[in-house]
Amino acid sequence: MKKTIFTILFALTFSLSNAALASIDAQKAEDFVKKTTQEGLTDIINSNVSQAEKDKRFEKLFNEALDLKFIGQFVLGRNWRTATPKQREEFIETYRQLNIKTWSKRFDEFKGKEFIFTGTSPSNSKGQIFINTEVPMEQAKPATVVWRVKQNGNTFKIVDIIIENVSLAITARNEYTAFIKKSPEGIDGLIKDMKAKLAQ
Amino acid sequence: MKNLYKSFLLGILLFNAVGTNAAAQENNDSSWLDSYNRAVFEFNIKVDRYTLKPIAEGYRAITTPDIRDRVNSALYNVVEPISAGNHALQGSFKKTLISVARFAINSTLGLGGMFDVAQGWGLEKEPTGFDETFATYCIPDGPMIMIPFYGPSTPRAMTGMVAAVYGDPLYWAMVNDKNYADKIGWSYAAVGVLAVRERSLDLLNDLEQNSVDYYAAVSSAYQQNRQKLKNLCIFNKDKDNDTQSYDFDFDIDEENEI
Repeated sequence: MKKTIFTILFALTFSLSNAALASIDAQKAEDFVKKTTQEGLTDIINSNVSQAEKDKRFEKLFNEALDLKFIGQFVLGRNWRTATPKQREEFIETYRQLNIKTWSKRFDEFKGKEFIFTGTSPSNSKGQIFINTEVPMEQAKPATVVWRVKQNGNTFKIVDIIIENVSLAITARNEYTAFIKKSPEGIDGLIKDMKAKLAQ
Repeated sequence: MKNLYKSFLLGILLFNAVGTNAAAQENNDSSWLDSYNRAVFEFNIKVDRYTLKPIAEGYRAITTPDIRDRVNSALYNVVEPISAGNHALQGSFKKTLISVARFAINSTLGLGGMFDVAQGWGLEKEPTGFDETFATYCIPDGPMIMIPFYGPSTPRAMTGMVAAVYGDPLYWAMVNDKNYADKIGWSYAAVGVLAVRERSLDLLNDLEQNSVDYYAAVSSAYQQNRQKLKNLCIFNKDKDNDTQSYDFDFDIDEENEI
């Protein structure tokens, strides 16, 4: 009896998740994140090359794995619409460089760490999926890291990383929107401030 | 005992049916609260910069990671009974037992909690508090409020904290001045604050350095992180469990592309 119920439940959840995921290949999306994190950990963070070489490899991986144009547009929110093409381009390029700089400083924190893949969850946005991972921590519960992946034909791109329920895209969007609201120079003021952070 | 649980939970359910409408409005962005929060935040940063932060850095400089682990472990052990009580209030019998066993083992064999012996025996640490218990009963969180000298909080989190203070043996030690109990209590509290600040040094430094609006970044991250507690609500368990709080509508207008 128990077995039958279990089978029915299993079949039900399976068919439901299948319907929801129809537009994205969950297995391939997960493999993509696995490959990306693996490359980040072995070829960059835990490898014995100079910091300059690590930075170079990381920039390449970052450009390939993330859809920066997509993220940048989301992060600017409604300010995207009023921005000029030049401002848009400049913002995305500065945002890209700032992210690379920020993450490069964090390599040591990830030394010896690993990602354990715990499955996928569907998204309400079309062609997108969440890949769930956990990072074991000493002395504390594992940290949850969720990767939001977007499929476009046969290519996969990361569009958001959610650490302990905190989405980097939403945080950046809230931060930048608040800044633009306060800044007398609007988006130009934001880009200027971001460039100052880059030069630090 | 089981019946008591049931009637207690039922009471909470009824209470909540009245409370849900208020919850729907809690995300209204009120600008006066935002400017108040921002002002308190700026104040807290200044106070922190000249007091707690340098002390926490000093503490880190004169201790090794191993010593700090022992300190953190002992500090947590004191409040393990609060975790045990709240696991019970949340209706988790197994976790309550584990927590009670952890307290007994670590207080004795673990030398006052300095060593987490129980963890090695497979009794995993799982801290919880009144705030999580309230979340389990689906009590709404309320808006984020910056507390002077403390940091971001919410009405529910504050209530949980006050309840925890009353449940904390150290609080009773502090008010009871016999046999140096108050001094032990105050020392524990002071070391506790220091240890919390030390643990957040890297994260907050990183966030401050890399943000163009530190307040906006901290408040956004704090509020998103608290959304996680919504999943604990016993009513949310069966419906819509698949939609995550961070599953926002992430589609952009293609016509607006560069």
